[in-house]
Order: sequence, then C-alpha cells, then structure tokens
Amino acid sequence: MPQSPTAKLAHTPPDGGWGWMVVSGSFISIGFSYSFSKALTVFFKDIQRDFDVSYSEIAWVASIMLATMYAGGPLSGMLVNRFGSRPVTIAGGLMCGLSMVAASFGNSIISLYICIGLIGGLGLSLNLNASLTIISKYFLVRRPLANGLAMTGSPVFLCFLAPLNQYFLSNFGWRGSFLILGALMLHCCVAGALMRPLPSAPVPTVENGSPEGRDAGTQGTKLQSNCWSRVKIVDLSLFRDPGFVIYLIGNSMFFFGAYAPIVFLSSYAVSQGVDEFSAATLLSIMGFVDMFTRPGTGLLANTKWIRPRIQYFLSFAMVFNGTCHLLCPLATSYPSLVVYAAFFGIGFGMVFALIFECLMDIMGPLRFPKAIGLVTIIECCPMLLGPPTAGALVDYYGDHRYLFIMCGAVILTGGLFLFVMNVYNYHRIDKKGKAKDQELQGDDVPQQERALEHMPEEGPQAPGPGGDETGPGATEEDGAMGEDGAMGEDGAMGDHVRRSADDSRKRSQEFHSITI
Amino acid sequence: MLHSGVKLCARLLLLSLSWGGTHSTGGPGSTLPPVVSGPPLSSDVRSVVFKGESQVEEVQVVRPLTLALECTWTGSQDRPHNISGFWRKDGSELADSRRPVLLENQQYNLRRAFSITDEEGLGNYSCVFDNQAEVDFILAAPRVGEVRDKPIVSYVGDSVVLQCKMEDTKPQPNSWTWYRANGTDKELLDPEPDSPRYQIHNQEGKTKLTVRNLTEADSGAYYCGAVYDISVTLSRVDLRVITFLEPLKPFLVIVGEVLVLVSLILLYERTKAHGPQPDNTLSDDQAHKLTPDDAGGEVTDSSTRQRKV
Repeated sequence: MPQSPTAKLAHTPPDGGWGWMVVSGSFISIGFSYSFSKALTVFFKDIQRDFDVSYSEIAWVASIMLATMYAGGPLSGMLVNRFGSRPVTIAGGLMCGLSMVAASFGNSIISLYICIGLIGGLGLSLNLNASLTIISKYFLVRRPLANGLAMTGSPVFLCFLAPLNQYFLSNFGWRGSFLILGALMLHCCVAGALMRPLPSAPVPTVENGSPEGRDAGTQGTKLQSNCWSRVKIVDLSLFRDPGFVIYLIGNSMFFFGAYAPIVFLSSYAVSQGVDEFSAATLLSIMGFVDMFTRPGTGLLANTKWIRPRIQYFLSFAMVFNGTCHLLCPLATSYPSLVVYAAFFGIGFGMVFALIFECLMDIMGPLRFPKAIGLVTIIECCPMLLGPPTAGALVDYYGDHRYLFIMCGAVILTGGLFLFVMNVYNYHRIDKKGKAKDQELQGDDVPQQERALEHMPEEGPQAPGPGGDETGPGATEEDGAMGEDGAMGEDGAMGDHVRRSADDSRKRSQEFHSITI
Repeated sequence: MLHSGVKLCARLLLLSLSWGGTHSTGGPGSTLPPVVSGPPLSSDVRSVVFKGESQVEEVQVVRPLTLALECTWTGSQDRPHNISGFWRKDGSELADSRRPVLLENQQYNLRRAFSITDEEGLGNYSCVFDNQAEVDFILAAPRVGEVRDKPIVSYVGDSVVLQCKMEDTKPQPNSWTWYRANGTDKELLDPEPDSPRYQIHNQEGKTKLTVRNLTEADSGAYYCGAVYDISVTLSRVDLRVITFLEPLKPFLVIVGEVLVLVSLILLYERTKAHGPQPDNTLSDDQAHKLTPDDAGGEVTDSSTRQRKV
C-alpha cells in the first residue's frame, strides 16, 4: 500500500515511566494465562470423586484451557489490533472471572469443559495477546528487559497459586475455591486498567481513506481501513517473511519437547528411587530458578552485546535446554536430579523470556498482534502432541530415558535450526543490502539514505530479516525518522537500527563487519 | 547398646494350623482353637535379615493363624556362652517366656509360636536378647494407607461422596462397613437400599458412601471399616458442610477490591489527562531535526539507536 510522504510515527515508545506500570499489568495477565491451568490440577482429585470420572477425563479441562488459550490467538490478535490492549484485557478478565464463577455451580464434567476450558481459555487468550502487544508499544530500547519481567509472571503466579489453591480447597472445597478464583481472575481487569493506551498521533491524510476520529484507545495505528471486509483474522501474508517462518519452525520444535519433561519429571524421579515428596519438590526448584532466570535473561538480552544478536541468544537458550534434557538420563540420584531441575529451570526461563521478544524483534510492534496470533495457533499442535507422544514412549519402552532423549533432541535440533537459518538469512539480507548500496552509490545522499531505509533496519550486527524488500506488509521500520522508505501498510513504528557507529556514512562498512 | 558391628537377624515363619496341633508353647491365646471347619490355611515363610540395635517389622494378618516368630542375633563384641532372652507383648513381658539362650554357630536364637485367633492376638510382639537387642513385630490387619488429613468440604443441599480404597498391594478386605462418629461412639451406618440420604456402594477394594441433601449437622467424622476375618480396621474421613455464604464473603471482598483498584487507576489517569500533557510524541519537525550528533532523544545508552537521516 502506498504511503503518504508525511506518514510518521504514531509515537516513540516511552521506554519507561508509565511503561513500568504496564509491565506490571502484563505481569499479572501473563501470570494468570500460563499458570492457571497448571494450578488447577490441585482440584482434580476432588472433582474426580464428585463427578465420578477418570483422571484423564478431568485432565482434559486443563488441556482444553491451554489449547483454547493458544488457538484463540488470531481472534485476539484481530481484536487487539482493532480495539487496543486495554478493552481486550478487561474483557478477557471478565470472561475468565465469570467462567470460573459459572464453573463453581457446574454439575457435570461437560460444564467444566465449557466454562473453564473454552470460555476461560478464550479469556486468557485475549489477555495474553493484549499484554504482549502493549509491551511492544511501550518499549523499544528496554523491550527485552520489559519482556523478561512480564514473563516472570508465569513462575511467580504458579508458585503462589499452587499453595493458595490447596488452602482454598481445604477450607471451601472445590466449588468455593472456583468462586474465589473467579474473583481473583478479575485482577486481570485491573491489569487492563493499567494498560493505558498511548496517545495516537494525528493521522495524516492517507490515501487508503481510513477515517480519523479514532480515539486514543486505538493507539493511532488505524491506517488500515476499518472496513470489516478488510480485517483478516489470519494474515497469511506473514508467511512470506522468511524470518517469521524460521522462527515458527524453530519454536514449534521447542514446544513439542518443552512440556513433556515437566509432566514426567516427578514420575521419573520416583522411578529412580526418590520418594514422592522430594520428587514433587523438583518441580518447585525448577519454578524457583525459572523465576529469577527470566528477568535476568531480559536484563542480559538488553545489553549492547546481546541485543543485536538476540535471535542467536534464543538459539543458544534452546540448545542449552535441549542439552540439559539429553543429559538428564545421567541423573539417577536425588542431588543430581536437583542439579538437572535447576539447569532445566534456567534453560526454560531463558527461552520463555526471549521467545516473544524475538518475535517482536522480527515483526515489529505493528505486525506483532497478528503474528503472535498465528504463532500461538500453530504452536498449539506440537504443544498438545508433545506430552502424549512422550507418554507413549514411556509406556512402550517402560523407561523414562527415551522421553528425555527425544525431547532433548527435538529442542536441540530446533535451536540449531534457528541458529543456522538465521545466519543464512542475515547473510542473504546483508548481501542484498550491499547490492543495493552499490547500486545507489553516487546518488544524492538523502536519496541514498532514503534507499538505505529499505535495508534491514536492525543493522549489520544482527539485521532483522524484516528488511527484505519482498516482505509483504509492514516490515521492521526505522526509528523515529519514519521516512516513507518505511514499507508496509502500517508504515510507522518499528525497531531501531542497532549500529555501533553514529555516522550513516559508515553503514556500508558496517555491512562488512557482520560478526556472525 | 550394641556395638556397631552387630548384626541382628530374625526370621519369621508363618505356619499353618494343622489338625494334630503343634508346638505352641504358651502365651496369650496359646491353647489351640478347637477343630476349625473350613479349608486349611496356606503356609507362608518369610525370612528377613536385620542389622542394627533394634528393628521393626510389620506383619499383615488377615485371618486367624499360628505364627512362629524367630529372631537370630549375631551377638555383641563379647559373646558369652549363655544369655537370657524373653518375649514381650505390647510392652509387658510374657509370663514364663524368659529362658536361657545358648550360643550356636556364633548366633543366638529365639523362637516362639503364637496363635492369633482374634483381634486380641494382634499387637506388638518383641523378642529381647539380654536387654541389649530386640526386634519388634507389629501384627496388624491391613489399613487403608492413603489417609486424607484434611476434611472434605461440601455445601448445604449438595451431595458428597466419601471414599475408601485399599491399595492393590495389600490384601483386600472381605467387605466394608461405615460408621459415623457420635460423640465418642461410632454408630453403624446401615441404610436401606433405596434410602434417599445415604447410599453405600462396595466394590472390590473400594467403597463409596454417598450422602445426599447435606445439612450442617452432617459434618463430623466418618469411619470406613475394612472387614477381615481377624478384625476390622478403621480409616477416618472428615466431612465439613458449609453454606455458600462462606466462600461468598472473600469473593465479595476481592471483587470490591478489584473495583476500587480499577476506579483508582482510571481516576488517576483522568486527573493526569487534565493536567500537563506528557510529551511522548515527536512531531515531524523534531524528527527531521535530529542530527547525527544528537544522541537520539530518549534513547538510553544501549546498542539500539534511532536511524539518523
């Protein structure tokens, strides 16, 4: 879509100030989204007894909730794009709260599937997408740190929810607990209230005739037509971005192997002779380590050495995680399992702290809501297939080792795939950039610089693959300059160029100094 | 007190009751029971090696039988040729069980057969050597292992299922009974098959008591009894019946808190909006004016920089 020459940024990300309140809102939201279905397992035995169902039937509740949370991604992405983060999070919080209250009155397992699984899962999906999107809007320079801090919500909430649920269960039974949990989930509405929308820029006269008069709640990025026929729930054009496809494949491999070790860690420990109580503490150790790893990774990813190479950092984290699982069969005693759990926590925390940051890095905040929607619905499959496949392996061989070897191998391959493909992709982009450079040599400096803006914005150290000219939509845009070299229909906000040099003259040199 | 090198061995024999009577040599219930009709009991032999000063061995008894307990002790540092040994039941020494024990093959051996006919025969039996070493045999019928320490909470008007399950690894009971605690007594629950309030459903190894139309008076302790030939072992399940108002109070408190927080945040935002405008945005002119020398406005010292024009 052609851009008006005066198209400009909606805003610069504040990178602080109220942004930290937004991070705490996202912390709450993400915390509920990821930890809630895991914390529900405390109630399963009682519900099983009251409804007279088998364990696998009741475990479906958690699976449906998790699956819906991920499958609802595209829908929530569309809603966030349309309405902004605040209304969507508040709506999500209300949905979750009301679904739990309804579930507390339920009389059959089906009512739980629908209330907690479908409606609750959909509410969490809205929360997740909105929280991540608003971070990408509020932060740029400190975004990895903000992401790391927000993702810490998951282990922290799990750490608190599990004993809290036990307390509720023993005092109020599962019905009363669900009622109170419904009230607690309304705190997502508080999180939504914190997600103050950024003031929208005055919309320039844009050809595609999008109306002005959108209020501040829409973040001012409604350069797209708001005609419903043009709103796509699933934007398949994203697949034309090689960086996105690489990310998707690597992450799907990660999610296939990520959750099975968690599910089977206690039973593996018990099979190695550890008593049940200590086996349960292994997961707590993992969660505890995870809690500190995530902000630490965010901090580390924000440093000037790592930030340009953040995609490689993600591959490193995945390789670390995979190696950890591959070495697990060597752990046969409780102390060695504790060490494994700690390293598992580190690896897991690192990957999760980076996983959304890297997608934001690739896609930019404007394409991010759609991208995350697509990513979550596609990752739904490997995530749900992983634990049952691993379980089948355990049943077939009668040995847990093969589970860890399989998961470790898949994650390791995913990490290596990401690493190799990113190297290749950046190399390809840089070659194109150099070619363009040479083409435009001798032109006017402003024109040349304008052309340079078609180049990968992220600079030579770690160019974002979004700079591809063949990219369909809003590729990663430049910083505050927001020139019309910004391609893409939303053509405004984008990541900053990471360069070590001040001078734009040095850009061509920098392309040569890629330190891949 | 034993020296560290002492090994204490004990062997445990289960013998069948035979018609001709056997070698029961005194102790409670020592007289052989009269001719028992029914199939002869199978015999089982178990031997366990014990190390250390004292040892505890649990023996599961499901039906009446004659049980021979044997303890073998390797002795302490100095092995006198002759020591004394005796048997204890539930802490008190058995009459005429004290006898001299001779050292044979560097070991001391104590053996005695006990006839366990009823619940009285169960308990804690100990063989004691010279007041130095002892082995405790705890004879008991199987108990339900998984005991829930927290009460089951249910609501007025709702129905609840109380359940007891005997592990597969333990011998299964013949049947189950349920009792309700009534002060210090236990009152047997024996509902009619179509009783609207109580329903007992027994399966192999599992029993369920369904109580419908709960009232607050139904709160209390319930006992499920696993019935074996030798005795009935009880397992306690607590029930607590509450009204819906109980969780409603924290619910309303939390909802109120959420509403207050949301209002505060939105009010704060509104007052701030009426105050000085926060300058978040860069206008076109400002953007264009940024020179390469300009550090890029709010960009902090990290590797990211805004593109300069």
